[in-house]
Amino acid sequence: MRGMTESSWSRKRERGSGALIRFMSWLSLRLGWPVGFLLLFPISAYFFCFSGGARGASRRYLDRALGRPATAADVFRHIFTFACVLLDRIFLLAGRLDRFRIEVTGLDHLLAATSGGGGCVLFGAHFGSFEALRAFGRNAPVRVNALMFRANAGAYSQIMDRLDPRLREDIIEIGTPDSMLRVRDCIERGEIVGILADRTACDRKAAAVPFLGEQAPFPTGPFTLAGALGVPVVLFFGIRKGNRHYEVRFEPFAEHVVLPAGDRAAALRDLAGRYAGRLEAQCRQNPYNWFNFYDFWARHPAKAIPAGGARARDLDGAARPGSSPVLAP
Amino acid sequence: MTAQIETTEHEVAQLIVDALHLEMTADEIAPDAPLFGEGLGLDSIDALELALALSRTYGVDLKSDDARNPRIFASLRTLTGHIEAHRTR
Repeated sequence: MRGMTESSWSRKRERGSGALIRFMSWLSLRLGWPVGFLLLFPISAYFFCFSGGARGASRRYLDRALGRPATAADVFRHIFTFACVLLDRIFLLAGRLDRFRIEVTGLDHLLAATSGGGGCVLFGAHFGSFEALRAFGRNAPVRVNALMFRANAGAYSQIMDRLDPRLREDIIEIGTPDSMLRVRDCIERGEIVGILADRTACDRKAAAVPFLGEQAPFPTGPFTLAGALGVPVVLFFGIRKGNRHYEVRFEPFAEHVVLPAGDRAAALRDLAGRYAGRLEAQCRQNPYNWFNFYDFWARHPAKAIPAGGARARDLDGAARPGSSPVLAP
Repeated sequence: MTAQIETTEHEVAQLIVDALHLEMTADEIAPDAPLFGEGLGLDSIDALELALALSRTYGVDLKSDDARNPRIFASLRTLTGHIEAHRTR
């Protein structure tokens, strides 16, 4: 019943972090980023000491990503990096981009994918900062929408909404039957839709593929979606490179997703496997940017981390307890 | 012409099974059971694939901003009724 324990831990943590983020947001926007940054040390130390679930999940992941047994310092650095991304998110949302360095690489790939005017999907992961992409998206010639859960975010999403009222307009909510019809409409208008494609929620739409040395469940839903819409798939990573320094990186993935009627399952598994491979490469290069603080390799994700009801059935498990607040508002 | 072509629940059930690659037969879809969430357990990606198939087969276009969507997608019976009323081919 370890899954149950982890989920009740995450619920508690998310409740606690709502108040914490409200406080941090208020304080750091008033007193400045360096003050908020200094406070991240005691905050990270607190989570390091009292969040056994996060510590264990971090260690299991880092062992694989670093290719050696992770030390306590590695785990602390992992938690600290997550805290930094949360702090930066407040500033990026508030539009306080001065002193931030956001480099964009591979923009050509994105431009090539949208050059026909047909839109494209951007696949990311719970890795680095989604907000860095959004900061880029504000100035992009093409509108960038984000497909994500909002329903369970509560106080947290209210804070984020207050920081940037435009946030709501760019979000397509997952969890209603017509969510993907909205995605189709955006694509038809030639827009871009960002999707986090690393978390599974239902076994019917997941495939076990090699990831950092062991089979892990990856969702196939995003590829079904790309195939149905007939759009190019581009990958993106909002990598934290240092203090107030991000790289928004675009990589080509597929010009067309073709799902042959006869061998659909194999084609989907192949695509999920290729995606997992690309994500693995990023995890090895930037190991501390990974923000799935739960047992990612659990064989039956839906059972290992019980998520509430029908919401858990959809594209990505962002509603699942244990989801990182930075990427699941 | 519209609304005069008969659309049977069985043929729509078959379309659902084919379009979504479900591992079940058309007869196993109960006419009044919910298609989404509990019941058949479809999700919004299924809804998109279903919408594309309905457009190809019957010329019925489902819009994302249509307030009737929850009712249209409620069950096999309501979906069949919607197709019957709006099909163009």
